[in-house]
Amino acid sequence: MHEFSISSEIVKTVLDTAEKNNGKKVLSVQLEIGELTLLNIEQVGFWIHELFKGSVAEGAEVKIKTIKARIHCKACGYKGGIRSDQEDSFRHLTLQTCPQCNSFQIKVGKGRECILRRIQAVR
Amino acid sequence: MKIIKSKGPEIFDIELEKDILAKNRNLAKENKKRFDRSNILAIDIMGSIGSGKTSLIKAILKRLEMGKKVAVIAGDLTTTIDAERIETEGAHVLQVNTGKECHLDANLIRQAIDRMKLDGVKVLFIENVGNLICPGEFPLGAHKRLVVTSVTEGPYTLMKHPFIFKEADVIVLNKIDLAKAMKVNPSQLERDAKKINPHVPFIKTNALSGIGISKIINALGLKT
Repeated sequence: MHEFSISSEIVKTVLDTAEKNNGKKVLSVQLEIGELTLLNIEQVGFWIHELFKGSVAEGAEVKIKTIKARIHCKACGYKGGIRSDQEDSFRHLTLQTCPQCNSFQIKVGKGRECILRRIQAVR
Repeated sequence: MKIIKSKGPEIFDIELEKDILAKNRNLAKENKKRFDRSNILAIDIMGSIGSGKTSLIKAILKRLEMGKKVAVIAGDLTTTIDAERIETEGAHVLQVNTGKECHLDANLIRQAIDRMKLDGVKVLFIENVGNLICPGEFPLGAHKRLVVTSVTEGPYTLMKHPFIFKEADVIVLNKIDLAKAMKVNPSQLERDAKKINPHVPFIKTNALSGIGISKIINALGLKT
């Protein structure tokens, strides 16, 4: 839902970091996005490409990896990933339930991150 | 920050491990510390467009009769309509226009509290942008988060948006007087709320007539 603002923040961080390290051209950036964030990976990629235009990062490769969710159910004690039939859709955002007992009382251990992991640049 | 040189002297990798969403969460924690230092109870009011966020704040202010001891940050895309409506209740009001953003974030709140005179303020209401999706992912540093939905949004709002209702400390079902006309069963919505977030109060209100407002005041720990 808020891909534009998050992408702007990522682009700002990339450009600031490149400048601080005397990077003349950014070749690639590597991101990791949790599958329980409300971020659509394709849209994030699109906005980063667009926002890079006209900067030292124009045309840089944007690699985005998904971070698998890890949940802990407070009702039945289940620990693990989310339901496999929810992985490919956005249903897990709205139906965040335990795959074992269907309870909503889950604690998210992993899957809500949006990490800028690595930037490759030319000095 | 770790810098690794690779593939000859001119290409280099910068490892950052920077969580962009964590940046907001950290700023939110700073905001909370500021509220704590000033003894201000901060309440984030979230809810869909037209669910009655502003009307609810107005009704609470009217009941509290705390005048300038209450401040309100009114978030909206571009207008000052909400701020003007709330101002008539006598509270300090600051409008924050987000422009194209669909939610308030912790940085906007930090800027807002920098600009506000908070001396003597005991309670701060933050009216978020009307939206049941994005605000859930952006904590602002408030002590309590209240989510308002209304019967005019139909019978499925809670089941469609459990994410934000799971984050709530208080869930409010507004416009309860219109339930019959809307053919919406408030008890079903209450059951949905209890399934998603069983331990928080579910309060039925009519913000315009004042029904349920005292229950909200109690649930938020506000003294009348």
